[in-house]
Amino acid sequence: MELSEYVQKGFQMLGDPGCFDPSAFMLLLRAAFQSLLDAQADEAVLDHPDLKHIDPVVLKHCHAAAATCILEAGKQRADKSTLSTCLEDCKFDRERIELFCTEYQNNKNSLEILLGSIGRSLPHITDVSWRLEYQIKTSQLHKMYRPAYLVTLNVENTDSGSHPGISFSCNMEQLQDLVGKLKDASKSLERATQL
Amino acid sequence: MLLDLSEEHKEHLAFLPQVDSAVVAEFGRIAVEFLRRGSNPKIYEGAARKLNVSSDTVQHGVEGLTYLLTESSKLMISELDFQDSVFVLGFSEELNRLLLQLYLDNRKEIRSILSELAPELPSYHSLEWRLDVQLASRSLRQQIKPAVTIKLHLNQNGDPTTKVLQTDPSTLLHLVQQLEQALEEMRTNHCRRVVRNIK
Repeated sequence: MELSEYVQKGFQMLGDPGCFDPSAFMLLLRAAFQSLLDAQADEAVLDHPDLKHIDPVVLKHCHAAAATCILEAGKQRADKSTLSTCLEDCKFDRERIELFCTEYQNNKNSLEILLGSIGRSLPHITDVSWRLEYQIKTSQLHKMYRPAYLVTLNVENTDSGSHPGISFSCNMEQLQDLVGKLKDASKSLERATQL
Repeated sequence: MLLDLSEEHKEHLAFLPQVDSAVVAEFGRIAVEFLRRGSNPKIYEGAARKLNVSSDTVQHGVEGLTYLLTESSKLMISELDFQDSVFVLGFSEELNRLLLQLYLDNRKEIRSILSELAPELPSYHSLEWRLDVQLASRSLRQQIKPAVTIKLHLNQNGDPTTKVLQTDPSTLLHLVQQLEQALEEMRTNHCRRVVRNIK
């Protein structure tokens, strides 16, 4: 796992007991994870009284370094040994390496979910609603008497959040065709997962 | 139910008894063709020359016939009602029979053309699907994320459109379940009763 010089410098400071005593280290570490993973993270996450004695520039540098490293590790799906090696190179002592790895392990799932949700994808169907009606007449045609379905697919877009949804009408044969094809897809899916 | 024919309409149709029944049959064919594909004024001119009348007269005759056929088809009037409605025009028996035959022969097709005029939402045409597994993205490597990509073919006013969408396996199962319930509804007693009784 490659870390930039900026990040390495930040870590060297973070690993230095002279700069960060044990409690400050833990606080900064937790703050880094929190600002990445907590959607409502406070901007004042570094405003803890136990961090007040440290130069704010240093705090920001180390916070940024930690966050960058965490994201990179998450993206690469780094295992414990990769992380340890990396931190060793930044002059972390054994204890701090353990603490970092434990904290990383605790937050690994949330981190992966977060990273996995970033990115463009096709509009995503989230739900379907339907309406069955019996058509009797229109302005152009009287005495119709036929059933019809109105189907609306609820769709979400990663870019614009919501989407009005896609609506279409169909008769019974068409709906049977639609359901048949979707069932084929889900059977294929079942078979694929059993391979 | 009788057709209500306006004076102007009756005037236009008054041209029909003045020509052969073969010509009336031909007008009938032209009328349905125009309903299918839109009108073509050149046909009026050709016919007008052959019959030695103005092309306006021919046009009114064909349009009158068209209106007669579409109104009858729209309301789905019975044979008897059609005959009674046409009776007021004072045509010969032969002409009346010809008109009735034109109506009965073309009613189904005319109704299907008229049904395309109703306010419409896009209608379902077909669906294609594909199973995908996302393996990695810029922000996360080593993934196994199954997805179903769907290409939905719809028709709106005759124009085909397609939408490409995606869903995950559990939503797919949910969709199938919901839509199967929708299909089941038609078989319930309630729906059967409605279909039976509203005719």
